[in-house]
Amino acid sequence: MKARKVKGLDPAGPLSDNASLIVATRLDELYSFDPHGDAQTLHDMRIAAKRLRYVLELTSPALGPAAAKGAREAKDIQTLLGELHDCDEMLALIRRHSGDLRGLDAEAALALAPNGAGELPASAVRTLPNRMHYRGLETLTAYFTVRRELLHRRFIRKWERLASAQFRERLLETL
Amino acid sequence: MARARKIPGLEGEITFSEAAARTVEIRAQEIFSFADGVLDTSNPERVHDMRVATRRLRAALEIFAPCFPKSEHKELLREVKKLADALGERRDPDVQIDALLTLKAELGQGERAGVNGLVAEIRARQARGNELVEAAIEHVGELGLEQRLIALAQGAVPS
Repeated sequence: MKARKVKGLDPAGPLSDNASLIVATRLDELYSFDPHGDAQTLHDMRIAAKRLRYVLELTSPALGPAAAKGAREAKDIQTLLGELHDCDEMLALIRRHSGDLRGLDAEAALALAPNGAGELPASAVRTLPNRMHYRGLETLTAYFTVRRELLHRRFIRKWERLASAQFRERLLETL
Repeated sequence: MARARKIPGLEGEITFSEAAARTVEIRAQEIFSFADGVLDTSNPERVHDMRVATRRLRAALEIFAPCFPKSEHKELLREVKKLADALGERRDPDVQIDALLTLKAELGQGERAGVNGLVAEIRARQARGNELVEAAIEHVGELGLEQRLIALAQGAVPS
């Protein structure tokens, strides 16, 4: 996701003025995403939180303690969404891996059928090379699916707490 | 994870360009201080530290972009991104293997074969990632990336 361009930056101007412009743009960017959105939306939101965090961390000596606190909040969001993204990546990896195993097993089963056969003998199931692998992969799928859901709930609670505390408005006020 | 070095003098009425110069110089040095031992797969912390340092530098280069000559900034940012991508190709498998081995320890014998197969696939990706990191570190050395970043940083202050 490309970052929004920040207008009005002046290299010869004070760090604090320029930092304020960047923080305001990065906040707008973060709040442009739906926290209940799909995997791609939450991934983009994580990147937006990371950009906000880095500018606040870097410029907090000039912007003051509110920026440092804002950086910690942005880091929390980034971490939660990062862990959620790791679950999505792991689930995709397991799906691909399981698909590959199923393909190999199908090939192996087909090789057992005599030329011109219209039926596969039941005994073929005993010889499928990956038949012992699926149970563990299904267990992992269940684990990462539930973990993702719980992380999303935590993220939503965090997001709602920030809204109640007027995180965005207060940060903008201090700039 | 290694903490970011403090950038002295960012308080007060410093200009955006002066802040850019100080930050990019320190963040560039930081990356290369983690290069030793980064290819050791038994110690995932080195590659993690170098990746985090690369992210911090990349963030600084993006934040302070208007302070630098456009074409040199664009080229060096692209090189930093390429290095970060290579480090990610090694780091992501490290994290995934660690998570899967933790879960495997909780599973019964009947479920472990599937986890082992998946871990083996990720280990192959980790090895390829390590080759990419090795090539990327060699490439940035040939490019003189650290020196060019420091020169870029010093060029940010208007004469």
